[in-house]
Amino acid sequence: MKRILVLLLCIMLLISSCAKNNQDKKATITIWHDKEDSVVAILEEALSPMKDEIDIVFEKKSSLTESLKLVGNDIKNAPDMFIFAHDKIGVYAEMGILAPITDFVSKEELGKNIPLTVEAGLYKGTNYQMPLYYETLLFLYNKKYMKEQDIPSTTEELYSYMQKKTKYGHYGFVEQHSTPYYAAGWIHGFGADLTDKEGNPLLATADMKKALSYHKKFVSLMPGETEYATVNTLFLEGMAHSTMNGPWFISAVRNAGIDVGVAPMPIVDETALPISPYCGIQGIHVLKAHANEKKDEITKVLRALQNANLEISLALATGCAPALSECYEDERIRSSEVVMAMKDTASKAMPMPNMPELDVLWSVMGNLLTDINMRNVDVETACSNAQEKALDLIKAMR
Amino acid sequence: MKRLFTIVLCFLLMTAAVYSQAAVEVADKAEAPAAESVPAKEKEADKNIIVYAKVPDSWEYPCVWAWDDAGISAFPSWPGDLMEMDPSNAGWHYIYLPSSMTSVIINANDGGIQTKDYRIESQDAWIIVNDDGSASVSKAKMTQGDLPEYSERFTLFAQVDESWKEPCVWAWEDPSGKNAFAAWPGRTMKANANGWYSAKVPSWCNSIIVNGNGGTVQTADIKELDPANMWLAVAQDGTFELTYEDPTIPKVEDISVKVKVPADWLEPCIWAWSHPDGTNAFVSWPGEKLNPEEDGTYTLSIPGWINSIIINANGGTVQTTDLRVDSGKNLSIIVAGPDSVVFSYK
Repeated sequence: MKRILVLLLCIMLLISSCAKNNQDKKATITIWHDKEDSVVAILEEALSPMKDEIDIVFEKKSSLTESLKLVGNDIKNAPDMFIFAHDKIGVYAEMGILAPITDFVSKEELGKNIPLTVEAGLYKGTNYQMPLYYETLLFLYNKKYMKEQDIPSTTEELYSYMQKKTKYGHYGFVEQHSTPYYAAGWIHGFGADLTDKEGNPLLATADMKKALSYHKKFVSLMPGETEYATVNTLFLEGMAHSTMNGPWFISAVRNAGIDVGVAPMPIVDETALPISPYCGIQGIHVLKAHANEKKDEITKVLRALQNANLEISLALATGCAPALSECYEDERIRSSEVVMAMKDTASKAMPMPNMPELDVLWSVMGNLLTDINMRNVDVETACSNAQEKALDLIKAMR
Repeated sequence: MKRLFTIVLCFLLMTAAVYSQAAVEVADKAEAPAAESVPAKEKEADKNIIVYAKVPDSWEYPCVWAWDDAGISAFPSWPGDLMEMDPSNAGWHYIYLPSSMTSVIINANDGGIQTKDYRIESQDAWIIVNDDGSASVSKAKMTQGDLPEYSERFTLFAQVDESWKEPCVWAWEDPSGKNAFAAWPGRTMKANANGWYSAKVPSWCNSIIVNGNGGTVQTADIKELDPANMWLAVAQDGTFELTYEDPTIPKVEDISVKVKVPADWLEPCIWAWSHPDGTNAFVSWPGEKLNPEEDGTYTLSIPGWINSIIINANGGTVQTTDLRVDSGKNLSIIVAGPDSVVFSYK
C-alpha cells in the first residue's frame, strides 16, 4: 500500500512538472502595428483561443516603418510580424528582412482574398503579405448642404458646384490638394502615374501635365493652406460641403453631428476615367529574423487571422473593405453604406506601388504640387524640374 | 487493490485530458460587430417633442433652456434657443426639442427673466407663465389645429446702417418661391446688445432680403445660401458683406514657425497647445509634420493662439521639453538636443 501511494505521488509530480515545462516552452509572437486600440482589440479577441499555446503581444509603434529599417535584421530586437500597408514591401524586401508569406500559407489560401489585395503584396514575383482589409479615399459630403441631386458625377459638375457654393467662407469642396496621396487620384484620372512598372519616374509626361493643370482650377477654389488639420476642421465645422478623406475620418464626422454621405468619385470629363486614389492594403507580414524558429506559431497566427468574422468586425470598426471574398456574402457588409462605397471606390483605385523608388519620389511629388498649387510655378517648368530631381534621387538610391 | 488501481488510472486520464496539446481551432469567435453608429443628428419630427409657452407681454423674445436627466443640454449656452410664434394660435410660442429632454426653463429678455425648472418628461408640453414668473405645465394640448411643421432653423445676424430702422428679413426658397413669412417686410429682427440684429430663418430657405424702414430700403436678393448661421453687414445703399464665420469673435492670426533640428531627427513634427487650458492645435501626437526648406530648416504655419510647443522627430520618439512661448508671435527655434533648445521671435 505504501509503495502504491509513493508511486501515485511520483506520477502526480511527474505530470505537474510536464505541465510546467509545457508552459515554459510557450512561444511568444510579437506583432508590431500602428493601429487604433479598437482594431487591436478585435485582433486580440480573434487570437485569444491560442493564448494557452502562444503568447501574442501587440506592440504599437508610432514610427513603425523607420523602426523596422533600423532593427529589421536584428534578431534580438526585431518583431516576428508586423501589420501595415503593403506599400513598404519593396523597401523591406530589398533590405532582405521579409520572409515570403507563402512560406507559411499556400497560394490557394491566399486565393480566398480579393485578387487586388493579393496582387498588392507581390514584389518581384514573391508575395510578402497576407491581406486583412483595404482602404482608399472616399468622396464624403455633408447632407445638410449637398442634396442628392447635387452630388457631382463628373469633375465638371464638381467644379460648377464649387463655383456656386464657395463663397462667404464656405467651400464647395476641400482636399489636401498638395499632398501626393490625395492628389494621386486626379493624376490617375488622366491616365498618368508617378512611376512606370520599373520604378522610373513619370513626372513630366503630357498626361501628368494635363492632370496637374486641370487640378489647379479646382485648387483655386480651395483655401491656400490645406494640410490635414485645416481640411478636416473645415469639414468638421460645417464650413465645407464635401471633401475627400479616408474611412478613418468618418467617426470624427459623425461625432461632430454631421449627417455624412458617401458617393462615388467623380469621373474626369476629358478622359471618362474616375478620380482614382491610391488604395492601401493593410495586412500582416513576417520578418525573416525568427521565421524558421517560430514557423509553426507564425503559421497558426496567420491562419487564425484569415477569418471572415474577424475581417467583418475590422471592416465595420474601420469602414474599410475586408480582403476575404466571402465577407461580401454577409448582410452586415452588404448593408454598410461606407464599406460598400469603399469596395466600389477601391475597385477603381490603384494599389499604391510597393517599390522602393516611391519612398524617394514622395517628397519630390510633394514639392511639385506645392510649386504648382501654392507658388504658381508654371506646370511645364515645375514638372521638368521635378522629373530631373526624381531621376537623380532614384539613381543615387539604386 | 483493484479499486486503487482504477482510481490512479482515472486520475491519470483526467490529467492527460487537461494538459493535452489539443489541436487549436480558432472557431468563429469574433464577436458580432457592433451595429454601425446612427447618424448623429436626429432631424425628423417624430424624434422631437414640442414645447409651447404663453408668456406675459413684458417677456420679449421668449427662449427655452432644456436638458435631459444626465444634465446634458439641448443648446450650447444660456439662454438656449428662441421660440417661434404660432400664427394659428395667438399668444402662443413653440419650439421643437430633442425627445430626450426632460426639463425646461422658459426665459425671456435675453435670459434676464425666467421661470424655475419644470419637468416635461420627454413629452409635448404646454406651459403658461404668469406675471410673477410661476408657471403651469400641461401635457394636454392647449392650442388649436395641427401642430406646426417641424423645421430646422439657422440664425441670420445683421448689422445695418443706422438709418435703417426696424430691420426685417424676408426669406424664401428659390426657385420654388415658397415664402417663410406671411407678408412683406417679413420677420422683424431682434436688436442685440452688441449692435447686431438677429432672426431665425427656416433652413429650407436659401434666399433672403434684409430690409428696413418698413421695407422701403433693402438689399438685393441674396441667393444660393447655405442653411447655416450667417452674418450680414449692410451699408446704407443696400450693398452688403456676408460671411458664415462669426466676425464678432476676435481672431488670432496664424504664426509661422521655423525650426532647425539635429541631422538625426528625421521628419520633425510640432506639437502645440494652449496652456493651462490644454486645448491642442493638432489631433494627435506627434502633431503636424514640418515642411522641409532648401536651407535645411523646417517651417509650418500654426494657430496663433497656442503658447506651448514641443518639437519632436523620429515618429515622436525624440522630443524637446515643453517650450512656453508668447501667443501670436512668429518663432524661430533651434534644437541641439532634447534639453538644448533656443528660440526667438521673428
